Amino acid sequence: MAEPSTAAPAETSAGPVRGRRPRLPAWWPWGGGILLVLGCLGLQSQLYTGQERTVTTVFMFVALAAAWNLIGGYTGYACFGQVGFFGLGAYTTVVLMVHAKLSFWVALPAAAVVAAVFAAVVGLPLLRLKGHYFAVATLGVAEGLRELVTNVPRWTGGGSGATIPSTGDRAITPWLGNDGFYLLFLGIAAVSAAVVALISRGRAGYALRAVNQDEDAAAAMGVNTTVAKTAAFAVSAALTGAAGAAYAFQQVTIYPQRLFDVDITVLMIVMVVLGGAGTVLGPILGAAGIAIASEYLRQHLPEAHDLTLGALIIIAVVLLPQGVVDFARDAARTRDLSLLSNVRRYRL
Amino acid sequence: MSQFLQATVYGLLQGGLFALIAVGFSLVWGVMNVINLAHGAFVLVGAYLAFELNRRLGLDPFAAMVPVAAALFAAGYLVQRGLINLVVKAPIFITLLLTFGLNLLLVNGLILLYSGDYRSVTTGYAADGFALMAGVRVPVGRLLAAAVALLLTLALVAVMRRTRTGLAILATGMDRGAAQLMGIRARHVYALTFGLAAAMAGAAGAAVSAVGTFSPADAGRFTLFSFVAAVLGGLGNMYGALIGGMVLGLVEAWGGQLLPGTLVNAVAFAVLVIVLAVRPQGIAGRAFYSSRVEV
Amino acid sequence: MSGDTPVLRVRGLQRRFGGLLAVSGVDLALPAGRVLGVIGPNGAGKSTLVNLISGHLKPTAGSVLIGDTDLTGARPWRIAHAGVARTFQIVKPFRGLTVADNVTVAVMFGPARIRSRARARREAERVLERVGLGGKGDLPPAELPVADARRLELAKALALRPRVLLLDEVLAGLRAAEIDPALRLIDELRGEGLTLLVIEHIVQAIAAVSDEILVLHHGAVLTQGPPDEVLGDARVIEAYLGHRYTRKNRS
Repeated sequence: MAEPSTAAPAETSAGPVRGRRPRLPAWWPWGGGILLVLGCLGLQSQLYTGQERTVTTVFMFVALAAAWNLIGGYTGYACFGQVGFFGLGAYTTVVLMVHAKLSFWVALPAAAVVAAVFAAVVGLPLLRLKGHYFAVATLGVAEGLRELVTNVPRWTGGGSGATIPSTGDRAITPWLGNDGFYLLFLGIAAVSAAVVALISRGRAGYALRAVNQDEDAAAAMGVNTTVAKTAAFAVSAALTGAAGAAYAFQQVTIYPQRLFDVDITVLMIVMVVLGGAGTVLGPILGAAGIAIASEYLRQHLPEAHDLTLGALIIIAVVLLPQGVVDFARDAARTRDLSLLSNVRRYRL
Repeated sequence: MSQFLQATVYGLLQGGLFALIAVGFSLVWGVMNVINLAHGAFVLVGAYLAFELNRRLGLDPFAAMVPVAAALFAAGYLVQRGLINLVVKAPIFITLLLTFGLNLLLVNGLILLYSGDYRSVTTGYAADGFALMAGVRVPVGRLLAAAVALLLTLALVAVMRRTRTGLAILATGMDRGAAQLMGIRARHVYALTFGLAAAMAGAAGAAVSAVGTFSPADAGRFTLFSFVAAVLGGLGNMYGALIGGMVLGLVEAWGGQLLPGTLVNAVAFAVLVIVLAVRPQGIAGRAFYSSRVEV
Repeated sequence: MSGDTPVLRVRGLQRRFGGLLAVSGVDLALPAGRVLGVIGPNGAGKSTLVNLISGHLKPTAGSVLIGDTDLTGARPWRIAHAGVARTFQIVKPFRGLTVADNVTVAVMFGPARIRSRARARREAERVLERVGLGGKGDLPPAELPVADARRLELAKALALRPRVLLLDEVLAGLRAAEIDPALRLIDELRGEGLTLLVIEHIVQAIAAVSDEILVLHHGAVLTQGPPDEVLGDARVIEAYLGHRYTRKNRS
């Protein structure tokens, strides 16, 4: 990190530009983050088992949204196959723990590395595509991975699922329990958010935003756009793969249909977009908001849960297309709280 | 050999249906740069409408195409005018999310109304078939569906190329700003485009209901087929969806002969990713991305 | 490097778009401290020439050398690191970054590779001052008037501390009063030993600062030489204004 000074530039994002504001002290995002993590640790003892599981899920989605934000929000490449890295991380864990008899604590980083290497390899050709074409191609990769996993049952259990031995003598690493997974996912979420914050505030963040906004101009400024994009994609995949590994271990038995479900990708995107793409805080807010709303709907409107979620997504996307964080910043600057001016911006 | 021929015939017939499913999707993408993730859901709404018309009025699914298409045209027009036009100038993931929300809404609405069970419309003739040659059978329903699909796609191309409205749509697709300067009302034209696409999806749904079973869970598959067919054919080409649909049908049919298990499902994706990586302009399309900065 | 060795050498450069030869057989050799003006009618291949040198387009034939390094077909960032900077005819600011951050990107990723954000920021402010954008660093680029947007484009190029500067119509859209300071800056940069290739539509303006002028027509070099010689050339007048004007002028 560069030495913070009075000349530190204003936090910027892919959204509308803001001028330099009177700044909070340079340590506040880190201090705030640490406080948030401590708060979550303190919260744990106050929760019932069911609530603890819900909050654990929120942590997982914070990590996933933060990861997607790197490639989709900062770099501007709408990856619609992100769940592929999630599934890849999960099945790497299955193969390593079931077949190679390795500890979960080896499988977790290995899953991140496998996902990152895979992303770099497919990213080199696919990151030349722009816009929808990149979205479709990555969607294809994820769906292809699912079919592949389904069709090598010897390694993955195929469509009937794979089980990680996690109790008794056959367990290589004992199951962590609800409390253990709460801490594990909190850790993964905190690491993911911290990685994004570091990248966002450092030199790499400039490169990614430049690539996002004009790739030709970025290249003319000396930014190696291929390396920047591929690295962002790989880091994003590594974080997603780690979350997938933890999820596999938590679920014990996993199925390709669930682990490669395109809805998980879409949830990540919804969370990032509604929270604020290209900001550190946005995906955290988005993930928490959507995951909690979704859980509430599941309990109170079990029949119409997906229907209502669909309607909420439509309303939110129309009214808050730039995300909560950018909306709040703009509103603070212009004193304009009207959601209709958002609609006016993108309306035909 | 006859097995291969049978697969080819089946693939071509299936490809025709894919083309009809995809053509509206491709139109919306090409003209408005919107990926309509709810396209498959529109196809299903068409299928269930045909199912209802058959159950209540005894209407033949192919005859039902007309009212179904009309109803979906109206619905599509309103959806674009009232909803998608609101975000059409936003970054791409906004429109993707909006249509995803629409898809959730429609699919789960269908599940609430009809449950997730598989349905079908039975006709007296669809299951009949005739032998083209020894060992190669052509089912009448599928032949009819493919023929109608081909006719409708050709009709759409004719409408786009020869009518005032069609030209307005094409012009708006090429340059919205310039088209508006020519006095074209883009809001209305976009709504017409989406209406046309929904009508084609509805017709495709009616055809689907005649030749096989369907459930709300098929929405994603239909959208995906449209994606693949549109990309394979290439967006710049009016016949893109037709070519892409045929290629997809053949590849799937042949893949089913050669590959074990459900690996054939991966074929569509593999073809998609390879085509995008190697020949991103599609089989018949113009280049949609190039290294040109400015000349 | 001795004054006589060309800093930028281009040999037989060609680019084909389908059936169209946008640039064909262009040869250049520019020593340090030289300004070459490139003029030509619309579609003559001027911008394509810049894109070929900067690596934004790959030539179909020919070579580009910076100093003694062959950079034919290299990616743009390698060419930027070799000391070639460019502006874009249609300005390309990073819209989500402030004016100062736009320049900071170039400082951080250019050949200087200044990693410290604070130092990069100070360097960026210095460059902004030089092009006349001092005090506007915190604005979003969208709020800049045309002339300032062109200045930002120039600032981003200068922040790379280039040996060769390719200017693609930096004067376009400027008012008469804004053109003179820009020309003075070009002159100043030449004095510092920069090699400049300047594409321009305003022939008088470019003639005043160029050592030589090269006329492109249909992608090929029509003529090259000192400004007054070239501008008096009947072929140049014809290329610009067509046959009838040439004949009427002669009679």
